[in-house]
Amino acid sequence: MKIARARAEQFGGIVELASPRALLHIDRELMRELGYPDSPLWDLPEGALSAPREVHVVLSRKCAAGCKGCYVDATPQGKALSFDEACGVLDELAAMGVFHVALGGGEALELDYLFAVADHARKVGITPNLTTSGLGLDEAAARRCAVFGQINVSVDGVGQAYADARGFDGFHHAERALRLLRAVKPEVGVNCVVSRSSFEHVFEVARLVKRLRLNELELLRFKPVGRGARLEEELTPEQGKALWPMARRLVWRHRIRVKLDCSFAPMVFWHQPSARAAAFFGVQGCVAGDVLAAVQPEGGLTGCSFTAQVLADARVPGAMRAAWPKGFGEFRDYVATAPEPCASCAYLKLCRGGCRAVSNAHGNFSDPDPGCPRVQEHRAASFSATGPRPEHGPRRPLPVVAT
Amino acid sequence: MKLFRRGRVLQATFGCNPNSSSLGVDVTFLLFGAVFASALAVVLGALLRKGPKQ
Repeated sequence: MKIARARAEQFGGIVELASPRALLHIDRELMRELGYPDSPLWDLPEGALSAPREVHVVLSRKCAAGCKGCYVDATPQGKALSFDEACGVLDELAAMGVFHVALGGGEALELDYLFAVADHARKVGITPNLTTSGLGLDEAAARRCAVFGQINVSVDGVGQAYADARGFDGFHHAERALRLLRAVKPEVGVNCVVSRSSFEHVFEVARLVKRLRLNELELLRFKPVGRGARLEEELTPEQGKALWPMARRLVWRHRIRVKLDCSFAPMVFWHQPSARAAAFFGVQGCVAGDVLAAVQPEGGLTGCSFTAQVLADARVPGAMRAAWPKGFGEFRDYVATAPEPCASCAYLKLCRGGCRAVSNAHGNFSDPDPGCPRVQEHRAASFSATGPRPEHGPRRPLPVVAT
Repeated sequence: MKLFRRGRVLQATFGCNPNSSSLGVDVTFLLFGAVFASALAVVLGALLRKGPKQ
């Protein structure tokens, strides 16, 4: 078992394994046993990580596909980080000790310098990963994708369900891209946005993952952000409660690895899984501005890709490192200041109140996630005397970062 | 006499995340439960110690 990289944290440290690919949080004693010196961080009180573990670098808002729910509002003329800017950002992230970057967009494959950026990430010790629609991917480009750690192709449905979800018929392009990529490397999976309309079609996507021998199916929650803010596609309360049982069934029935994104945490914790197992396997709700951060195409460092509050200009040398320790209080302080029903929830420290971006889209960044079944039950009980309530509170569009 | 406490693996996440949102729940691993997590922590700790030191 080879340690690729390690960095100290207040609790001890994080080590990255090359094989199997893993990030391990270890305590101070184990850091010492492995030969690492004591760190000044070990004298500090418990708090956020010294740097994000992974950063989503939104290389561009450029994409010709025009998906109707695109959360970055990508267009063919969208803004993009230049090659030099992207490399500069990666240099900064490497100096901070970031382990992984997720490169995306827009459609990152539309940038002719994507692979050069990925090569640069490798050069500075960061594992680059990619999400793509697969549109326009040919054999030559697929071979070059070997540079990435994990590549996921967005497939929100099979056949007509894809067209219904995205607004154009691109399923065959996506399937072809998956086959081409799978011929090059085993770490190829599918991203599937689970929305109100696509919920019942997720089983078809799982079958596709099994059939093409892909290594994971990642289910992403539909978020009313960007062009998605115009759609009524958030899960119904019944679907929210049914998500975790469905995910379990997918694992048992198809024998595939299934992951859920951080915004689904409330729907999982409502079913009261083992908190100890959840903590050990890093099952968490909103980790924006702590475990995760994002760099927008305009250069802004944000807590995650779905929020617009910019902490620093990532293109300015040293700016991210200087701003990080005391930044993102609006994310990091949620657990300490959480209102009911989060405050009395046994899973608060893990769930962290669900998805801040979704709460913000519904009106208040610091409110509990309105998609959480516990929150919905609490609100239903609170307002039962005043008549029926809508499934979610009034929603206002969440603007993407101004271009 | 000072007692020596062996170090521990506190958390493990496997694979890489290519997404815009962070990895929240690895359903496959969470299904195995707390006993499996404890056992895995011990095994990973032992394997780490067997590897080359810094």
